[in-house]
Amino acid sequence: MGNSVSRALGKLFGSREMKILMLGLDNAGKTTILYKLKLNKIRTSAPTVGFNVETVSYKNVKFNMWDVGGQERLRPLWRHYFPATTALIFVIDSHDKERLREAKEELYAIISEKEMENVILLVWANKQDLKGALKPQEVSDYLQLGLNLKNQLWCVVGSNALTGQGLVEGLSWISNNTPKK
Amino acid sequence: MMDVERSRYSVHPDSSGSGLRHSRRETALLIATTGNGYPKKSPSMPNFHEKPFKNPNVSEPVLAANGFPVGREYVAENFGVQSLTDGDASLSVIEMYGDEVESRRPELEEGRDEDAESDEVDLHTSAIPPSSTIVPNSEYFDRYGFKKQSNVITEQDYDEWWKDYSQYSVRRKHKWKILMEKSGLPMDNDSPNRFPSRSEKLKRYVRKGIPAEWRGNAWWYFARGQEKLNKNKGIYDKLLSKMDELLKAKTRLLPDLDIIERDLNRTFPDNIHFQKETFQTDDPPMIKSLRRVLVAFSLYNPKIGYCQSMNFLAGLLLLFMDEERAFWMLVIITSRYLPGVHNVNLEGVNVDQGVLMLCIKEYLPEIWHHIMPPNPSKNYSLNNGTSLLSSNDFLYKLPPITLCTASWFMSCFVGVLPIEGTLRIWDCLFYEESHFLFKISLAIFKLCEPELIKLKPPKNGIGKNNILGQRGSQISNGENEMEVFQIVQAFPKQLINPNELFDRVIFKRRFSLNKLDQDEVDRCRKYVSSQRLKYKHYSEIMGTGHRNNSNNNNNNSNGIGIVSSSSKPTDGDKMAGDIINDALSSEVYGFKKGLGGVHWNNSIKAKVRQMRKKKG
Repeated sequence: MGNSVSRALGKLFGSREMKILMLGLDNAGKTTILYKLKLNKIRTSAPTVGFNVETVSYKNVKFNMWDVGGQERLRPLWRHYFPATTALIFVIDSHDKERLREAKEELYAIISEKEMENVILLVWANKQDLKGALKPQEVSDYLQLGLNLKNQLWCVVGSNALTGQGLVEGLSWISNNTPKK
Repeated sequence: MMDVERSRYSVHPDSSGSGLRHSRRETALLIATTGNGYPKKSPSMPNFHEKPFKNPNVSEPVLAANGFPVGREYVAENFGVQSLTDGDASLSVIEMYGDEVESRRPELEEGRDEDAESDEVDLHTSAIPPSSTIVPNSEYFDRYGFKKQSNVITEQDYDEWWKDYSQYSVRRKHKWKILMEKSGLPMDNDSPNRFPSRSEKLKRYVRKGIPAEWRGNAWWYFARGQEKLNKNKGIYDKLLSKMDELLKAKTRLLPDLDIIERDLNRTFPDNIHFQKETFQTDDPPMIKSLRRVLVAFSLYNPKIGYCQSMNFLAGLLLLFMDEERAFWMLVIITSRYLPGVHNVNLEGVNVDQGVLMLCIKEYLPEIWHHIMPPNPSKNYSLNNGTSLLSSNDFLYKLPPITLCTASWFMSCFVGVLPIEGTLRIWDCLFYEESHFLFKISLAIFKLCEPELIKLKPPKNGIGKNNILGQRGSQISNGENEMEVFQIVQAFPKQLINPNELFDRVIFKRRFSLNKLDQDEVDRCRKYVSSQRLKYKHYSEIMGTGHRNNSNNNNNNSNGIGIVSSSSKPTDGDKMAGDIINDALSSEVYGFKKGLGGVHWNNSIKAKVRQMRKKKG
């Protein structure tokens, strides 16, 4: 592919680059999602100690995806590092009902940070393939985003990192809902 | 998910489900059968099997029944061990895997003993099959049981590298044997448990790689594990009984158990010994051992408890030694080599990142300009035109790159480099102590240098393509940062040949970074931690604690986070910053050629070195 050609086309049709931070509790499936998007492969992933950063292109949009380790103890390492984030993706393990509350608390802690004022929020209700997983609607109801978020645009999408279901939908929602310039 | 499973087990390309079902049992069986093939003890069977680990808790794992009856019986019979418990778990995996490899090539099995007898060197290649004799079924996994393929390395890449590297390993092992004999440590088996006394030569040997089959014993020896164990005899058993009790009581008194459980089956998913087969409800023995080691550790040191990355440390140790040793090695790593790194507040890792930043600034100034944000926080930089680089405020407000390097230290490079590279680093870590981790980090940066300096140096000011204009001033070099991250992260992952790292940097005297030694790192650690403490006190006194401090929630009570490039300075901050800068800049830190006032007589060292060279 002619790199310069696609770049020129990109300019014409508004190729954009955005930085996306993907957060969530440990074992929610963030890294699996990232590599499904990047390589279209499922690799059983190991816990992320630091972070993974990959560029995923979809249509004209280059998503710089940051996947950050989720364990509680490691969160302070990146908690204050959110520069230039366009969108926040919060991944929830819809099957782990015991930790939903923890996930909700974490989500609100992040979204109330000053730097998150202008981001748009996508929630992936992940692991939809598992029996007994909460439906996206149920996750959405539980999170009560409509009630609590005044500034941010938000959306809850069901996802299954193994089949890729919901991933593209989520990214298109992000690109459709960010300013073009 | 099925795809993964299928590809993982495609070792038997034409096998049906039933073939899969037997593969684990096969492992056990073949341990039993090939056992008869050895007239004496298996040459690479580590010594610790002679003194089996006696623990009632181990024999009856609390959380799941033992799934390896055959393996256990075999070990018991052949070694005359009566109370050996969970024998499969304490088997050296290299041994297990070597056997497994054998079992999977029945057509070669008969000729096997002859091979072993006829050629001394070939004896050891049974555990390290050189690619010339590629065993059909080890096609997908390396000698440690890891999948050869990774996100960035293909099987072809691997095989190509292994072709040369396996030869290299055989040559090195041969040299090691000569060294052992010369040092009066004749080897009657392939499992030495004493090693030559420390010398420059031995250091070089270690740096060129300890033979894989000896690694467990060598690490144990160099890290003085036995000393630690002797001082704490019986402790591990007690911890396991305690764990047992707490589990039986069913109270939630094991606060870390849930977190550990979540990570167990995600530890080395690419390693055959850690894989749970889909049909199996029982955890593989390796996972059971891992659980016991991690839970025992969380009881032993509640200050650390369990921190992600320790699963990798313990997991890798378990591939090379038995449980109890792995446990004590984990204790040694988290206290001696990486003090405080895994503590709840992660202060140790912040200190080490500060030290690493000092090292980069000192030894790789070219790179320093590329990873240091130009104006990380206006509130603490000097406004009088002094270059920011002369002040050390990056020690308490670490540059973003440390997000990346922190994990290098926490997991001791497990997962950062392909496995052989990680093991070579571990060889040196246990022989040379923690400064080697800094040295290797510098070496990685050094090798990244050509790519890093191609990037535009970070500029002050507003980036052009900001999507959100109003936040422009806060994201001056986000783009540049992204590229730096990608380089620094991706580079080590594709570094399949560890010799590249060693031959191109570590063995090159002309690179000043090789002057870094343990003394220097110890001094820097002291310096950085005192500076960070001082900063914390100052900001508390001034009541203008940086938001990283004041906003911190309880899980990081005294942690000082990463630079937030979006912080807005206030007058108070400025004052505090000036005071701190004044206070800090008058201090010196430990580099030999460091700041004025400290005199490290480098010239004498250099002269001695020259004299030695002439003599040699």
